[in-house]
This record gives sequence, structure tokens and C-alpha cells, in this order.
Amino acid sequence: MLTYVIRRILLLIPMLLTISFLVYTALELTPGDAVSALINPELASRLTEAQFYELRESYGLNKSFITRYGIWLGNVMQGNFGHSLAGGVPISTIFLDRLPATLELSLVALFFSTVLGCILGTYSALKRGSITDSSLTVIGMVGVSIPEFFFGLVALLIFALNLGWLPVGGRLLPGYETIWDRIPHIVMPAMVLSLMMTAGVMRYARSSMLDALTRDFITTARSKGLPEWRINLLHGFRVALTPVVVLIGFRLPVLIGGSVIIEQVFQWPGLGNEFIGAVRGSDYPLVMMIALFSVFTVLMASLIIDVLTALIDPRVRLS
Amino acid sequence: MTSRSLNKKFDKILAREEAGQLSSKGGSRALKKLFNNRLAVVGILLFAIILLTAIFAPLITDADPLKIDLRNLSKPPTAEHWFGTDKTGRDILARVLYGGRVSILVGLGSGIISAIIGVLIGAYTGYKGGWPDIIALRISELFMSFPQIILVLLLVSIIGQSLINLMIIFVLTGWGGMYRMTRARMLSLREEEYVQALRSFGLSTASICYKHILPNALGPIMVNITLSTAAFILAEAGLSFLGLGVPASIPTWGNILNVAQEIRVLQNFWWMWLPVGLVICLFVLSVNFIGDGLRDATDPSQQG
Amino acid sequence: MPRTQDVALSVKNLKTYFYTNNRCNKAVNGVSFEIRKGKTLCIVGESGCGKSVTASTIMQLLPALSRIEQGQVTYHSDSGDVHIEKLQRDGKEMRAIRGSEIAMIFQDPMTALNPVYTIGFQIGESLKYHTDLSTKEIREKTIDLLRGMGISLPEMRVDDYPHSYSGGMRQRAMIAMAMSCNPKILIADEPTTALDVTIQSQIFELMDKLKAENETAIMLITHDMGVVAELADDVAVMYMGNIVEAGTVDQVLRHPVHPYTRALLKSIPVLGRGRNQDIQPIAGSTPDPYDRPIGCQFAPRCKHRIEACDVMPQEVTFNGTQRVMCWRYKEFLPDAG
Repeated sequence: MLTYVIRRILLLIPMLLTISFLVYTALELTPGDAVSALINPELASRLTEAQFYELRESYGLNKSFITRYGIWLGNVMQGNFGHSLAGGVPISTIFLDRLPATLELSLVALFFSTVLGCILGTYSALKRGSITDSSLTVIGMVGVSIPEFFFGLVALLIFALNLGWLPVGGRLLPGYETIWDRIPHIVMPAMVLSLMMTAGVMRYARSSMLDALTRDFITTARSKGLPEWRINLLHGFRVALTPVVVLIGFRLPVLIGGSVIIEQVFQWPGLGNEFIGAVRGSDYPLVMMIALFSVFTVLMASLIIDVLTALIDPRVRLS
Repeated sequence: MTSRSLNKKFDKILAREEAGQLSSKGGSRALKKLFNNRLAVVGILLFAIILLTAIFAPLITDADPLKIDLRNLSKPPTAEHWFGTDKTGRDILARVLYGGRVSILVGLGSGIISAIIGVLIGAYTGYKGGWPDIIALRISELFMSFPQIILVLLLVSIIGQSLINLMIIFVLTGWGGMYRMTRARMLSLREEEYVQALRSFGLSTASICYKHILPNALGPIMVNITLSTAAFILAEAGLSFLGLGVPASIPTWGNILNVAQEIRVLQNFWWMWLPVGLVICLFVLSVNFIGDGLRDATDPSQQG
Repeated sequence: MPRTQDVALSVKNLKTYFYTNNRCNKAVNGVSFEIRKGKTLCIVGESGCGKSVTASTIMQLLPALSRIEQGQVTYHSDSGDVHIEKLQRDGKEMRAIRGSEIAMIFQDPMTALNPVYTIGFQIGESLKYHTDLSTKEIREKTIDLLRGMGISLPEMRVDDYPHSYSGGMRQRAMIAMAMSCNPKILIADEPTTALDVTIQSQIFELMDKLKAENETAIMLITHDMGVVAELADDVAVMYMGNIVEAGTVDQVLRHPVHPYTRALLKSIPVLGRGRNQDIQPIAGSTPDPYDRPIGCQFAPRCKHRIEACDVMPQEVTFNGTQRVMCWRYKEFLPDAG
């Protein structure tokens, strides 16, 4: 088990290095260069030309492309992500500021969509052919056809503007910090974000469950005289779970990307919102770092999913 | 013990069987299944309707989607303007219809092109194996490690916004999925015996891979094309909504929705965004119905 | 006819019909037999003849789109007769019988065992639901069972997953699972078809031992006549949903009277008889279950068919325990001309 995890981590490193190198190259190609962005602009603005040049020298300006990559990478790994072109704010500060919000939203959406999707999908499979099953299937298809932001807009209109049940946006009002205050704000963005994921999980859980239920070991379990619930849950669902977890791993990039638009619609103060602002303002250092970070997150998350899969399915550990 | 309703159903079937009324008929199983699937039929109809209205837009409305009319700002739907007018007086119905052309072009076009590229590469490298396969695999992994939106926006910020750029970016970010799928099919099919036989006859790699193996994988490829078309249309809508997709000068469904970013518009001018949104939903839904029907019809492991 | 005291299960005129694809398939169309205590009944026939369906019917393990159309399946338990055909498919009574009184082992042990649970867990499930043993006792009993089936190092093997067992070991584990609650009847559906021939004999030795030690009645389903010769006490030959001939193994194998049985026996090469054996394959193939011949199902392929065969032959009992469904059976009796 441990060897499996270590092996997976080792496989990640080349990918991360490659992508970081590509990001670095892209930064070099844009106006300005990678190393300049590492320097604090506020500090830079107070220097003379010559002093600035010396400072960049000390950061390795005149060294070769590869060496500069090494220096840049070293800085990044130590937490110096460079500075945003808009106002010279250290990017690491922006991350610390905005990341919790995005994480909160994504994790709630992930949890919600997984649980709801599995429940509905399993129920659908068990009641195959019934009206409930057909309706859920169609609802699921409608769910993946609605643009998430459109769903968000409609939800905003109905629940926030017309009915006034939920706030229009934002994460917290200053002064209101308890968890009860937080919930109304997160409800809509999380529901909307998880729309497509829930529909996807539900559909996949249903077909995975149907597949598991036709397997021979289900007949064996039944021949032992076990009660239906145990057969469906411990034998059926348990085996159906693995493909669903794998699917979630594949859909993680979509979830992480989806929060970008939703954060806009609901004015949620996360990294996604920040990213769009950076793209609009051609703030390359910020754009690159957020992109790099998103890849890092996706790779980390798929590592976690792989470990999870190995935990629940002993066959995976062999390969 | 079977339930009462099942018992009745069985009795009916038994009676008809004994009376000799049932028999196996011929005909293409796949096509029959497709048309039996009511959702797929609905999907095909819906798709056709929307596509045709977009193509034949000039026949349906003689309004110019780009024409600004300062005397008719923000008017709700009337007999003259079925979908009303927007903030600069442009006829929204015309914008939806002509915008449909662009959106469908981007969606369908990117879907088909990325499929072609993905399939060509996947089939060849999957069959050949070795270095080309490893390189292609690593490159596709690279692209697929990025959340699609982030990669798209990244590229947009670098190469700028335009219709062609957007399609290029979509194809670049989308070929990976089709590539992976084709490669997987190829890997399993190339071990089949008939392939060994073809190889022993001395057929060239290209011939074996494109003429003989690929047709067997067509089913899932078609399904995938429909699904990625749906995904691209949604992606274009989202990006244009943010103002970062197709440039605002060219109307697309997403562009039209851009105005809904303002709460004021959201609340008071529903006709400016709600109908467009619904059209997107219906179109993508129809594509999904068709894709689902295709999947059911071409999947040999499905039982009746 | 030797009866009730030593009969574990009687099946009378059983009909099981399948209703998939909106068609009706009469998979089992009037089948009667008895399984005697401590004896092995072999049901033999080609694929699709309905032998597995018969087994599934006895255990009420039929798929959703099928039902017991007619007939009786009576289990003669210690506490009286149980009419299985009248029980709820997954009701409490049926579930109490399954696994503890009547148990089943399946053809492919790799797919029949759940890959995500240990062997110990899966054997323990039966014990958990049919006995009052504590968790510790269950584990001990499981290890004992594995040891009794000839699996070495059972204390370690009990925590292994099915994929780390070999094919023969998996089947032994399945038998251990089936025998865990000492069932009166063991149904084995082609238990060695997926295994090597050398392993096959080991498994059968095992089953014989169990039969002797526990007085278990065994219903063995197979398509291999060699297995029948080895293990059977009683034989029933099935074709397209009917038992065309039945009797003790001596009667059926030495003096078969139904054309199908005779043709089957003539089409098998015998080890040791040399190269020039007169092997005669049976012409034609089994009919489409949805497009059956009227009357005797074997008639289209039978060398001895006559006009009367357009009506389904009645079952005739002779020689005490031998039964056959053929209008012309008398001509094939050993003392006939």
C-alpha cells in the first residue's frame, strides 16, 4: 500500500516540473519576464535604474535560461510567487486571502454532489424501469444541459431577488462570522456549482450499480440467504463505488474550473474571481501562478483519489 | 412470488406466444433501437428545429442583429420584436437566431475537428505503440491536467480574443479526450485475431489502422462527438458571458447573456437573457438526447 | 419406488418460463425428479437445455423477468415438507433455507466471489446469518472449514482476497462457504468446468467425502458424461426443457433407451479404446428456444423419428426407477430384438 502511494507521488513530479517549466517559458515570452515579477515592485519603484539592474542581477538576470528557471522555481517553492502587476501585491498574499473561499466552495460542492449523486443513482438502479427511475434519468440529462452560470442566474433571480430567502452574493458580511451566518451565503453557489457534477455522478452511479448487480457474486450472496439490503449495499454498492470514485477523479478539473464562473456570478471572493480579473487586466504573473496552482491542485486531488481507490478496492493495489 | 402487475404482464406475453403472434423480425438492430428511444427522437427533432432556424434566420426575421435603434431601447416583447430589444435597441430574436449560427458553428465545429485530430492521432499511435505513443500520451496528459476553463482563459490572455482563436483553443484543449478514448479502443482491438491476420497479409499500418480497425470503434466516437459538442457550446456560452469568449462584435448566445451580469438587468429585463438561456438549454439537451440514444443503440452489451 | 424417508427434495412437473424481450421462453417445461439423501443426482445435457434454470428455480434465484409457471418443488426438511414454489422469492422463510438447508456452488469461482472482501468475510457471512456463533467463533469455524477443504495455512489464507487464490483453491473456498452451515442439499452447477482436469478430480473427491460424512444430497449439473460416470448415483438427461431419460447411473449409462441419450454416449471418445473408435456426432443443432418444434423437441435431429413424434411423448416408468419420454423406447430395451 505504501509502495503504491510512493510510486504515485514519484510519477507526479515529472509532470509538475514540466508544467512549471512551461509556465516559466510562457512568462518569459510575455512582456516583462519571470524574474522581474519576483521582485517587489514597491521596492523596485524606489530604486534607480542602476540599483534595479543590480537587484535583477542578484536574482540571476544574466544567467542562462535554464539557470533562471531554477532560480524562479526555487523561489516559487519557497513561497515567493512574484507580484501582481495590478498594485504590486505579492501573489502569495492574494493566495492566502482568496484560497480559503474557493476551497470552501469546491469542497462543499464536491461533498454534496458525491453524496446526493450516489444516493439518487443507487436508488434509480434499484428501482430500475420505474417512473422514478425514468424521471431521474431525464432530470439528470436536463441537469447536464443547463449552463451552470445560467442556472445560477435563474437561482439568483428566484431565491435572492424575488423571494429574498438567500443573499445575493458575497461570502460573509463583516461582523457576521458564525457558521449560521455563513450557510445562507454558501447555499446557492454550492448548489449551482454541483449541478452538473451531481447529474454526472448520479448517472454514473446508476450504471455502475446496475452493472454490479448483474455480477455473479450477487447471485452467490443471495444463495447464502442474506437479506436484500445487505446484498444491495455491501455487495452491490460497495463494488459499484470504485468506478464512481474514479469518475470523480476525472471530473475534478471540471469542478475546480467550474468555480471560476460561479464565483463571478455570486461575487464569491475566491481565486476564480481573481483569475478572471487577472485575465481581463492582462496580469500575466497572476494568471500564470493561478493556472500553475490549479494544475497542482488537480494533480494532488487525483493522487488522493487514487489512494482512496486503492483503499476500497484491493485489486487496484496489485497494479 | 412475482408481483401482481408483473404476473399480468407475463400472462399476456404467454397468451400471445401460444397464439403464435410473436416472432423475431429482421432489420438493423441499431437503427431500430435508436428510433424506439423516444428521447432520442425528441432530441433529433429539437436539434433540427433549432439548427434550421439558425441557418434560415434571414427567412424568419428581416431584422438586422447588429442594427442599433435608439428609439426602441430595452423594449419588452411585442409583435414587432418577438423577443424584445436590448439596451441599444437591437432586435433580440434576430440576435438569437444569427447568434445561433456562430454558437453552433463553434460548438459543432470544434467538436468535429477535435474529434478528427484526436481519432487520427489516437488510432495511429495507439496501434503503433512505442515512442510516438508515449509522447502523444504525455502531451495529452499535460493538457488534461489543466481545468479546461483555466487553460482556455490562459490561452485567451496570451493570444487574444477572436472567433478563430477560440476555436483553435477549444480544439487544443479538447482533442485529448477523444484521443484517449480512441487509443483505448485501439489497444484492445489490435490484439484481436483478425488484426494479426491482416498483418500477416502484409497490409500497411495506415491501412490496417484506418480501414480495418477504426470502423469498429465508430459507435463510441460518434457518441463522444455529440457529447463534446454539447460541452463546447456550454463552454463558449460561459466564456462569452464573461466577455472573454467570442468578441462582443459578433453575436453569440453567450454574448447576449453578457448583459445579465448586472443585477438590474437580471431583475427587470428578463427578455434580454432568459429566452437565450432557454435556447441554449434546449439545444444542448437535444444534443445530449441524441448522444444518449446513439450510445444505447451502438452499445452491444445493452440488453433489450 | 424407494420414497419419502430418504428423499431430500422432490420436483413434480416443474415449469419455469422466462419473459425477456417481451417473448416467452419455456426454459423448463415439465420436469420431475427426486434427490435422495446421501446420493448424487447428476443432471446432464447440452448448453441451453434448462439444467441451470432448474437449479435456480429450486433456490428461488431466478432473474426478475421469469416465474415458476406450474409445478411443485418440495423440500423434505426435518420439520416437515416445505413447498418452495409457494414461498416469497426473497422472504424470510426462503432466506432461512438458502445457505443453511440448501446451498449452491457455481461454475466460475473467480466471478462468483466478491473481489473486494476477504474469503473469511464471505464465508463468515453465511455463519453470521444462519447461526448464533460469536465473531471469534465464526472466525475459528471458518479456518476449520478451510482446513477441512484441504487449503494449507488456513489461518493466514482466511484474510486473503479471492484474487490471491488459485482456481482450484477458490472452488474449495466456495465449497467451504456452501457447506459452512451443514446444508442437507448441495447444488453444484458445473463446478469444475472452469478448472483444469487434474483439479477436477480433487474437487470431486472432496464432494464425495462430504457426501459420505454428512449425508448431504448432491445435485450435480454437468455437460460431461465422464463426470456422470464417476460420481452419479442417479442421472437425469435433459433436452430443451424436458427430462428425456432418468434412472440410476447403471440403468441410464449401461442401457440407455432414449435416442438422445444413446446418441450422446456414442459421440464421446473413450480413453484407452484406441484410435479407431466409432464416434458419431449428433446431426443438427439445438433449436431456437423461441421457435421450438411441436411435440418431441429432439425429433428434428432424431434418426428414429416417426409421425407420432409430432405429439410430445408421455413419460413412461419401467424397470422400477428408469423413466423415458419416447414413443419408441421399447425398441431400445436391452432385451429387445
